[in-house]
Amino acid sequence: MPAETHVEQGPLDRNSVFELIRDRLADILEIEPSVIKEGDSFVDDLDADSLALIELVEALEEELGERSVGFHIDDEDLADLKTVRDAVDYVVARLGG
Amino acid sequence: MSRLPIAVDAMGGDKAPDEIVQGAMRAAAEIGDVVLVGRPEALGTDHGLDVIPASEVIAMDADPGSSVRRMKDSSLVRAAEAVRDGKASAMVSAGNTGATMASALLRMGRIKSVARPAIATPIPVPAGSPTVLLDAGANAECQAQWLVQFAQMGAVLARERYGVARPKVGLLSIGEEANKGNPLVKETYPLLAEAELDGEFIGNVEGRDIMTDDVDVVVTDGFTGNVALKTLEGGLKAVVNALFGVFGASDEAKAAAEVLMPHLLPLYAQLDPDSHGGAMLLGVDGVCIISHGSSSATAVVNAVRVAAEMVDHGVVDKLRTAVTA
Repeated sequence: MPAETHVEQGPLDRNSVFELIRDRLADILEIEPSVIKEGDSFVDDLDADSLALIELVEALEEELGERSVGFHIDDEDLADLKTVRDAVDYVVARLGG
Repeated sequence: MSRLPIAVDAMGGDKAPDEIVQGAMRAAAEIGDVVLVGRPEALGTDHGLDVIPASEVIAMDADPGSSVRRMKDSSLVRAAEAVRDGKASAMVSAGNTGATMASALLRMGRIKSVARPAIATPIPVPAGSPTVLLDAGANAECQAQWLVQFAQMGAVLARERYGVARPKVGLLSIGEEANKGNPLVKETYPLLAEAELDGEFIGNVEGRDIMTDDVDVVVTDGFTGNVALKTLEGGLKAVVNALFGVFGASDEAKAAAEVLMPHLLPLYAQLDPDSHGGAMLLGVDGVCIISHGSSSATAVVNAVRVAAEMVDHGVVDKLRTAVTA
């Protein structure tokens, strides 16, 4: 079910969600944001281990929780997020975009 | 020097909470302020220490990442938050190693520019200062640049914790020659040779060098480091057991043992993991000591002592300066 959204901030479009995920991931992996592409696999292309992905999830929940009350990524859904695109699609859907 | 209390995860470890609480009480008397983190009802009331309440306990075999996310009121998570929130100067846990690392990483954060935190374990050296072995298990698969950062962090620790003015840093391999080793070692060697180190890169070292004065910091990936660590621990234990077997084998041996024992016990104490206070998680933005799962009260005292020294020496700030992206 999409999270309830605040009225103070407009909804994030898909590109903004991608940029948010890319920038947080770049911070976590200590790489340049520009090298992260939407089709990249977290594990095979970006060498992100499970802890790095959990860092990403926590960062997204913190950031998006301020926009959308109760925004949460379910642990059981994490296994299905193989690529950056998967994560973008998931977040957009959760935000009700 | 005034120091915030050190947060001790009272619920973590095979002997928790009793041995942990006993160790924390001794540490408070010998070293300085300690705050327990755990279920107040499980800790009793006789310890006389402050308690940060935490209702959950992460099991030793729990999945680190998901348990830290799911169990937000666990003693491990609350201990890491105490450091993050300025209520404690450091955390100590003998609990689930992976969950300790995840708690510290997710709550304290990483030092900027550190790609991956590493577990730095002191390996005893007879009649010498311990060798710092890292990574001892945090990252099973590593990249060459991470190993360079491990070297930079390990050198800081060898200097600050063990007083080695110019630490000798070695890359663990299967031969001393630069062309020996697996692809990761071969890729790392030239990077280390060119890296800015608070010490001296002495090239490849072998497993037999770890317990000698020939090297102060041994750098490797977390898989190899953990295998090396457990091999050394098991080997030492086997030798000690065999020695005690010989000492009890005959009246003559028992008499000889009585003469030798006063000389051997200090050596035994030096080689005992409990004497070294556990491993240090380097690269997170705070002091985190990971003690052995079977830690005794003495091990907890020594872990708190290590934590206090790291805080007093400002090791985290020194790591921040030493590590290059």
